[in-house]
Amino acid sequence: MDIKQIAEIIGAKYSGQSFEIKKINTLLDAQPSEISFVSNDKYIKDIYQTKAGALIVDGNNADKAPSSTITLVVDEPYVAMAKLSQYFSSSIESSIDKKAVIGKGSIVSEKAELRNNVNIGKNCHIMANVYLGDNVVVKDNTILYPGVVIYRDCHIGSNCIVHANSVIGGDGFGFATSKTGQHIKIYQNGNVIIEDDVEIGSCTTIDRAALGSTLIKKGVHIDNLVQVAHNCEVGEYSVLVSQTGLAGSSKLGHHVVMGGQSATSGHLEIAPLTTLAARSGVTKSIKTSGKVFGGFPLMQQKSWLKLQAKLAKLLKT
Amino acid sequence: MLLSEIASSLDCEYFGDNVDIYGMNDLFHAGSGELSFVSDKKYIPSLASLKASAVLISKDLLQYLPNDIAYIVCENVSLTMAYATKLFELKKIEPTDKKTSIGKHTYIDKNCNIEQGVIIGDNCTIMAGAYLGSCVVVGNNTVIYPNVTIYRDTMIANNCIIHSGSVIGADGFGFAHTADGHHIKIYHTGNVVVENDVEIGANCAVDRAVFGSTVIKKGVKLDNFIHIGHNCEIGEYCLLVAQSGVGGSTTLGRNCVVSGQSAFADHLDIAPFSTFTARSGVIKSIKQPNGIWSGYPLMTHQKWMKLQIKIARLLKEEKWTLNK
Repeated sequence: MDIKQIAEIIGAKYSGQSFEIKKINTLLDAQPSEISFVSNDKYIKDIYQTKAGALIVDGNNADKAPSSTITLVVDEPYVAMAKLSQYFSSSIESSIDKKAVIGKGSIVSEKAELRNNVNIGKNCHIMANVYLGDNVVVKDNTILYPGVVIYRDCHIGSNCIVHANSVIGGDGFGFATSKTGQHIKIYQNGNVIIEDDVEIGSCTTIDRAALGSTLIKKGVHIDNLVQVAHNCEVGEYSVLVSQTGLAGSSKLGHHVVMGGQSATSGHLEIAPLTTLAARSGVTKSIKTSGKVFGGFPLMQQKSWLKLQAKLAKLLKT
Repeated sequence: MLLSEIASSLDCEYFGDNVDIYGMNDLFHAGSGELSFVSDKKYIPSLASLKASAVLISKDLLQYLPNDIAYIVCENVSLTMAYATKLFELKKIEPTDKKTSIGKHTYIDKNCNIEQGVIIGDNCTIMAGAYLGSCVVVGNNTVIYPNVTIYRDTMIANNCIIHSGSVIGADGFGFAHTADGHHIKIYHTGNVVVENDVEIGANCAVDRAVFGSTVIKKGVKLDNFIHIGHNCEIGEYCLLVAQSGVGGSTTLGRNCVVSGQSAFADHLDIAPFSTFTARSGVIKSIKQPNGIWSGYPLMTHQKWMKLQIKIARLLKEEKWTLNK
């Protein structure tokens, strides 16, 4: 998209030459053909090193960018980026010019909908009312139960089982809020990758990444009604019990166990082999591995048991 | 249906004119031709301005009813009301002469199921496996992802996005209870109205109103697994994060932020610009706008933080139990 057009969409002044922009990216990853933005003071230090061809900034940061970077000045850079994200998003689905490739021994229901360029491996079973969006890949021996929806560009490994009505690759919950309180959608242009030997229960949702991938690693078992938000990473052989929720960009190490109705806040890391009791609420990263936690806010399970004993005594007095 | 017929099918007696009744509604919204009900003493003040053609009422409240309104006397008004809703139950699929109307540049997948009388605007995308019930209305530029179910009479405005597996307009969770503990279904004749620029995540459930409408106002964004009970009103630009629930008839003011796994009891009024941190459990109305709230039972976020510090101290004081 031409930079002049971009300037017009976000309401910035630009009188320089035409220049083709290919993608929106983060300050540090952006290439000369890409555009980036500064919305949070935390990232101002990264402005000086950016290689981005163009940068959306507010008035305070207009002069900080390297001289090779074009700056577009707006009041609310984050809102401007959100508006722009729509123009760099893929279409919801395209017409079918490449029919699905289906491997030997696979059974695909007549009532399943396979969109453009879908690829299904050997010995799979795809049941009625399953929807596979554009470019979806399903590897060997995988079973998709009725009503499973896999949004475009997602990958499912081999020997996986996804139970009825689970939704893989729906849009992450990402919005930029303007000064007047409106929420502008940040289009989610990433995908979901599910590795081999993963089982996912019914009615579970795993959201696609804003950029990059939401990742469910090998051998993970997910129960019913679990929410995995955009850009999460669930480590090998982890277990998530029913009604658990992971907020955006949470990273679980391998063999983490989360009990029923437990949850994490966003952008934190949980060490491998951690066990979280039912209804745990994790608000900070867990750095040492192999421990058992419970409660909200989180504490060691031993402390939680002690606390319950004390509360019981408190009630008796 | 004549009042006499309604009374006889409920095994009750009617008094006053044998009026023709076409539907039911609550005390505040019932108009001419509608049957209403007085289930509690607290509604006595609103009886003076009642516009319903007839009411279900118990003997002890009869004295407060204006003279010109016909009535059916019953012992347990809520239970009789539940039985009465059955008489006005909506057909699952409405036989209608209204043709389905589809706007320009709208794509509807061949594997969708669209009932009669549906109206869809321009530039919409309705994907495989979606179901649109009788007389559903969808505005312009709206996207409905695969396997979304939209029950009859639901209205969805412009620029909305509804993700896979969500169910809009299913029956609310409403029952009246008999003396021997059976639950009698209250048939829901209302609908759901979704205003412009609303996004609804995957596997959400927005229930239809008993009478009237459940309303999701302009610019609201719902994450995945959001439950909205019957007759709720979610104010403009509210955000509800995953796995939260709102009990029936609760009203949220504009721009409320509800973090993950929070919940609201029923019949609450929540002031605009309220923020709820994760796992909040709201059991009382909130009158003061702009507050930040936490915990269950709910308290200000500040108090909740203090409480957590006290609990942490309690754990450290090993002698605490011995002294008592």
